[in-house]
Amino acid sequence: MQYEIEVDGRLRQVVVHRVGDGFAVEVDGRRWQVDLARVDSHTLSLITGVVPPNGDTGDATPASDSSRRPGVGPLVSPRPGGPSREVIVSSGTDGRLVVRVGATAFSVALNGRRRTDEMVAGTDGPQRIVAPMPGKIVRVLVGVGDAVHARQALIVVEAMKMENELRAARDGTVAGIHVKEGVSVEAGAPLIDIL
Amino acid sequence: MKKILIANRGEIAVRIARACREMGVSPVAVYSECDRTALHVRYADEAYPIGPSAPRDSYLRIDAILDAARRSGADAVHPGYGFLAENETFAAAVRDAGLVFIGPSPEAIALMGSKTAARAAATRAGVAVVPGTEGPLSPAITEPELTSTAQAIGYPLLVKAVSGGGGKGMRTVTNLRDLAAGVAAARSEAGSAFGDPAVYLERCLIRPRHIEVQLLADEHGTLVPFVERECSIQRRHQKVVEETPSLAVGPPLRAAITSAASAVARAAGYTNAGTIEFLLDEDGRFYFLEMNTRLQVEHPITEMVTGLDLVRWQVRIARGERLDFDPAQAMIPRGHALECRIYAEDPDHNFLPSPGRIQQLRAPSGPGVRDDSGAAAGLDVPIFYDPMISKLACWAEDRASVVARMRRALDEYVVTGIKTTVPFFRWLLAQPEFVEGRFHTTYLDEVLAARAGRSFVEPDGDAEDIAVIGAALQSMLSSGVSRSSAQGAAVDGAALRWKARARADALRR
Repeated sequence: MQYEIEVDGRLRQVVVHRVGDGFAVEVDGRRWQVDLARVDSHTLSLITGVVPPNGDTGDATPASDSSRRPGVGPLVSPRPGGPSREVIVSSGTDGRLVVRVGATAFSVALNGRRRTDEMVAGTDGPQRIVAPMPGKIVRVLVGVGDAVHARQALIVVEAMKMENELRAARDGTVAGIHVKEGVSVEAGAPLIDIL
Repeated sequence: MKKILIANRGEIAVRIARACREMGVSPVAVYSECDRTALHVRYADEAYPIGPSAPRDSYLRIDAILDAARRSGADAVHPGYGFLAENETFAAAVRDAGLVFIGPSPEAIALMGSKTAARAAATRAGVAVVPGTEGPLSPAITEPELTSTAQAIGYPLLVKAVSGGGGKGMRTVTNLRDLAAGVAAARSEAGSAFGDPAVYLERCLIRPRHIEVQLLADEHGTLVPFVERECSIQRRHQKVVEETPSLAVGPPLRAAITSAASAVARAAGYTNAGTIEFLLDEDGRFYFLEMNTRLQVEHPITEMVTGLDLVRWQVRIARGERLDFDPAQAMIPRGHALECRIYAEDPDHNFLPSPGRIQQLRAPSGPGVRDDSGAAAGLDVPIFYDPMISKLACWAEDRASVVARMRRALDEYVVTGIKTTVPFFRWLLAQPEFVEGRFHTTYLDEVLAARAGRSFVEPDGDAEDIAVIGAALQSMLSSGVSRSSAQGAAVDGAALRWKARARADALRR
């Protein structure tokens, strides 16, 4: 099986082969040997080993009867033992997956789906400030035509009893304001456009 | 006392219900519309709806809560913290309904609940207060009057809500230019959070530490102060990490600050559990800040180093019992305890709230770990309330060990579906200032500003490759490819081995 997986804007090429009880996985050409156990519908336990270049452990022959006797058998078994990692896969926003490895979470998209996160604006082009959660507009701090600088507070949204300031990602000019003070907004509602 | 109605929600409602069960008392829950499936409802013996999700329509409705108490036949009410916990009208209404309010008298709440009245009470008890205005600012104060009042106190200063708490309704003002806006913002937030827009001004001490003293007082004149807690790790005036004992307090200062706390509480005729907060300046002088007339969020760490159950004692005091333990047990800490408040917030996006449904949740456990939580897998974190989902507390023999234990516990914490502040705490507990105890109440805001939004997640070498491999394998398994071999074989194999073992055991018998 072949996958194209996007993490943090980078595309990674993944090829999965079954080998005996386990898997041989290539990530951008780097080969891994993976013993996989599925703990529940979202949780995988992986015991991994990196296959050295020119190594042939990924093509380990199926265990023969003799290998099951203690002290006898090939040196490299299809279940090699090694680093143990727990992976928890849950669904994220925009059809992406949140993949947790140990205590670190990654946002990934399968098969070339691109990141479309308007909160994380790039270095140029228009930016749209959207409501990150449902709430009430407490104050609009800018007007149409105002020049704003990076990290300048633009609008105050009250949610969960706290007033939260939303800030500009970079310098620009306010091109449009979609809300008035006092109105309630849903998550994702456009608030302010900046050119 | 046979049945206690818990006028709260979330982790604290569960915490109180647990104490009730241990005491053979039946816990009764109340809930708003969005909390129908919440943990505190499922954990209680009985549960009563009290209205729509917005706090003012449910958890702040005195009439609805008293009606639930009457229908359930409860004989006492525990208010928890937040909501109506420091509302003297509620405490009086509970008493007038013939029920026991598990907390101080309405008179003591009224006196200490107003921050300006509490400052006056502390002064009468001979305890220094942070310099500031004697009373609330007049709502009609003119700009020149405000300017001269602020000038007399000096900058930087704090604008604080008279009926406040939890860091809401508070603004730091560093110069005259920001004064009017700061007062307006604090009034607006205080009005919507506490129903009282009154604010006052207080001098902002430079690099102070937040030190607080837990107290218990019975109805027979016995008052016991506890070893101090330090809560200097704050973000926008909200505590995020607490510990006890404080690295900045030795036995002589402990004796002085706890006797000052006792003097203030006695002057207020205080009973039940309460906490007196102080600011400690760089020269070792301490100033009364305010009193919280309720159980504190961070009470578990005090329980861990003293072995005393504060909620249990609240109930016993309310039943008229005497504080009969050795006061030295409260004052001499055993080991060190640390608490992190886990919030449904995205630390990588300026700590914006991250409400939503929790997909998976696995709390840490093992030696010295306590997780007080109101969250569960499948539950939504509602947008209506404080987004704290759990308090993770750890105990160990000394501070270095408890920091290591907390790091271990944070690594074990799995919450998916929402963002939490766990990655932030993993970063914080690795900072040398934190490890060495060199911090003050503005330390965290300063280092966060200096980081300028840089991500707290710093993945180790292979983690991203493993994530990519995991995503590919999960996708393959979920789409059914090789399910029969990979997953099925593993499960069937395990089941067969269990059966074989059971048969072998049966034969040996």
